[in-house]
Amino acid sequence: MGQKPGDMVQGTLEMLILKTLALQAMHGYGVAQRIEQISAGVFRVNPGSLLPALSRMERAGRVKSEWRATENNRRAKYYELTPAGRKALKEETSAWGRQTAAISRILEA
Amino acid sequence: MNWFKNITAGLQSIFASTRTEQEMDEELRGFLDASAEAKRRAGMSPEQAARAARVEMGSTNAVKHHIRQAGWETAVENLWQDLRYSLRMLARSPAFTLVAVVSLALGIGANTAIFSLMDVVMLRSLPVDQPGQLVLFGDGRAAGSNDSLPNDSTRLYSYSFFRNASKKNEVFSGVAAIDSIEFSSHGTLVGAGRETMRASLVSGSFFSVLGIAPDRGRLLTESDDQTPGSGAVAVASYSWWQRHGSDPATVGKTVHIEGTNYTIVGIAPPGFFGVTVGEVPDFWIPLSMEKEMSPGWNGLNDKWFQSLYIIARLKPGVSAAQATANTNLIFKQYIRSEYLGQSPSQKDLADLAHAQVELTSAAKGLSRLRRQFSLPLIILITIASLVLLIACANLASLLLARSTSRSREFAMRMAIGATRSRIVRQLLTESFVLALMGAVVGVASAWKASHLLLTMASHSAEVASMKVGPDLRVLGFTVILTVFTALLFGMTPAIRATRVDLNGSLKQARGTAAPSSRFSLARGLIVAQISLSLVLLVSASLFLRSLVNLTKIDTGFNKQNVLVFSLDEYTAGLPLDARLVYLQQQIEDRVQSLPGVHAASFSMFTFNQGEWSDDVTAQGVPRTPENSKDVLHNVVGKSFFSALSLPIIAGRGFDSTDRIDSPKVAVINQTMAQLFFPDSSPIGRHFGFGDDPSHSGDIEIVGVVKNAKYVRMQESPEPVAYFPYTQRVQYFGNFVVRYSGDEGQIISAVRHAITEVNPNVLVGATSTLTEQVEDSTASQRLIARLSSFFGILAAFLVCIGIYGLLSYAVARRTSEIGVRMALGARRASVLWLILREILVLVGVGIVLGVPMALEGNHLFSKLLYGLSPADPASLFAAVGMLIVVALLAGYLPARKASLVEPTVALRCE
Repeated sequence: MGQKPGDMVQGTLEMLILKTLALQAMHGYGVAQRIEQISAGVFRVNPGSLLPALSRMERAGRVKSEWRATENNRRAKYYELTPAGRKALKEETSAWGRQTAAISRILEA
Repeated sequence: MNWFKNITAGLQSIFASTRTEQEMDEELRGFLDASAEAKRRAGMSPEQAARAARVEMGSTNAVKHHIRQAGWETAVENLWQDLRYSLRMLARSPAFTLVAVVSLALGIGANTAIFSLMDVVMLRSLPVDQPGQLVLFGDGRAAGSNDSLPNDSTRLYSYSFFRNASKKNEVFSGVAAIDSIEFSSHGTLVGAGRETMRASLVSGSFFSVLGIAPDRGRLLTESDDQTPGSGAVAVASYSWWQRHGSDPATVGKTVHIEGTNYTIVGIAPPGFFGVTVGEVPDFWIPLSMEKEMSPGWNGLNDKWFQSLYIIARLKPGVSAAQATANTNLIFKQYIRSEYLGQSPSQKDLADLAHAQVELTSAAKGLSRLRRQFSLPLIILITIASLVLLIACANLASLLLARSTSRSREFAMRMAIGATRSRIVRQLLTESFVLALMGAVVGVASAWKASHLLLTMASHSAEVASMKVGPDLRVLGFTVILTVFTALLFGMTPAIRATRVDLNGSLKQARGTAAPSSRFSLARGLIVAQISLSLVLLVSASLFLRSLVNLTKIDTGFNKQNVLVFSLDEYTAGLPLDARLVYLQQQIEDRVQSLPGVHAASFSMFTFNQGEWSDDVTAQGVPRTPENSKDVLHNVVGKSFFSALSLPIIAGRGFDSTDRIDSPKVAVINQTMAQLFFPDSSPIGRHFGFGDDPSHSGDIEIVGVVKNAKYVRMQESPEPVAYFPYTQRVQYFGNFVVRYSGDEGQIISAVRHAITEVNPNVLVGATSTLTEQVEDSTASQRLIARLSSFFGILAAFLVCIGIYGLLSYAVARRTSEIGVRMALGARRASVLWLILREILVLVGVGIVLGVPMALEGNHLFSKLLYGLSPADPASLFAAVGMLIVVALLAGYLPARKASLVEPTVALRCE
């Protein structure tokens, strides 16, 4: 794991994807773009990790996919959260909150 | 239902792979397009944007690969791919595959076969309820009856002690007794013919202590074992019941054994064989019927008739130490009150102080075979696993050589994107395929081999009745062995093979002769094989030489041309008196008159059949520690000595003047004469049984006969006294005949003659004295044969290994050899160049192997006869054989090297 921008803490990618999809259904590129935008360019998600993660989450039943037309009339695979996905997002967010709070306490001590 | 979705999605991507693939492609394309479009909007030219999007994504194949790997089905697909690829690669080099599979099959098969024997003989627990709670009184190392005051660690017990212990102990939930002798007699099931029936006499508590439930009917209970003669019932074994057609009406039928009718009350469950491994009785009969089963025995009332094994079940929570303490307390109280009178002698009290009961675990049951074959089996499985180890080393070096020639292939695959772990997995799959093929062939042959091993081990009936063969446990063992084997020989080559320098491997057409570390690993493996096979060859030649020593031992008797008939005289229905003696004399005389028969005689024992021993006191000879030890006894007919070709050295043998009413006589052997009468002639002197001087005049010595082996070939000369059966009336089981001419004709003539004298005397199996002598060294024979086989196998594997290594080395060095020859090296010196390498390897292997062999051989010095484990001749023989084998294996490649044409060799670069 290097220090260049774009590396993220292991296991957080799925959480970010869940959060992104919680707002609305999106296709793969949209997810990547949204993460990059919101993080102000800190996280740049490569399709080589994004698409396998989406596929894994689909297998796990946290997202489901559907082929739809895009805004400029192309076919794209749209992903949206399932109820299990929403639940997972809630759990992971609160776990994350606990962890970061703990880490900051340690760092500030 | 996530797992369901996961599985269906996986299956879909396996079976509808084109559709999944298309969707993946489309999604990637969409991603690229969207990304390019965003870049265009940000101000790039269309070409720049498309290019930047592609650079960001990287190889689409890699991305697809990552996506595919997210599902489980990829692993299956990869495995399937690897398997197909492995099979193709193996099919492409059939010679390698054949050598690998055959050597693995031999290694795995040998281990499986020997393990299946070990499992039956040593490891398996009795098929009873909670076998771990069962304890045996004593170590079970004796069978028969003992009539002396217990003065040592005891093994056999009287019926009255069994009753006493059952009643008084506080540590056992149940106590059972089993007669130490299994009865083999003739009997009839109502409405069927006469057959041999093996019966085991057991206490009424036997089945309940073992926790056995009947297959049908009922089992024996306490009420069957109350008063002598009261329990004329029998429980049949399941296998006997099966042999009689599994007739449901069997329960309630009657069997007639030794003059008594027994009602069959039940059938034991399948697989139950009692407590002695390798003995499957046909019937279990209550101990209350002892006198009926064996006339002349009075064990139920006679406390000196100690002939029972006692097995007890520990109460839950009772420790072995508590049980031992309680048992010994009861035992000593019992001996003190029952055996020693009001005023015991000092000697009796000293004996009692030494008497004790050692409790041993009975979880695995009793077994003569276990005692006889445990050490041999442990040695054999060690040898077999060494062979497997050699086979592994051999395969590893062959795989290394192969991987070198495949290094371009691996480099190519890695260059186009295969990961290293993927190739290691592929190579390991190849190893597993090889190991699996070896295991399948090995197990198939082990099935046959374990039976062959058994028959090699012994001809006896108890061995024949044992069930061996791969069951689930054994197969489990083989599976573990196979996986271990595959990892052992496959891991290092696989890891080595993938440590490639891509550029170098792809560029170079053929390696130069620079010694690589891979090559030195191969040499190391050869050295390991040589030293291990040296260990095997040394032990093989030790066992062989030991066996030769054993067979060279003078038995004293002449074992050639002697038939031993086993028979049952009891069925003639005569009591133990002069009428029986008359019948026996008639049979001897009739058989002896047959043409071709030189001598015929009944005898209690011939050789290796057990012993009857007792201490004796000679009249006028003070007792010393030496002459107070047991003297072996035998009861024989008057032609016994001539039947065994034992010359009478002094005095006379038995003759017709030795009648039941004439003075008791005995013939003693040289050792006994020397022991008791070192300075005078024993003829006319007297001795008696036991230590009571008042009986020392009972028996007169009329002759001295040459020493002969009694129980074992290895025994040192033992004192023996022979008694004529005319003065010790008994039923015999042995009839010995010295003959000349055709064995088959004599056998049928003897059978015929006996039937003519009395058709009710049943003549059973016939063997020869030579067979009995050979059977007594069965375990040594087994080890000698198998260790030689494995030794030769190991040498053969080394041969292949050396040949493979050298062929490879010669191929690598062809150009070097060409240069040498172009510069004037002669063929002989090239030959030497190659062979020298082998001799160095052999030298190192031997230097490492000799200490291992010397160290290892001490483990089995107990099994060697007449030579030390460091026997130099065996060591030299093994070393010599290895050198010859190595040179033979090395010669072909070396010769090929010496025939290299310099011009050809140089051009082929």
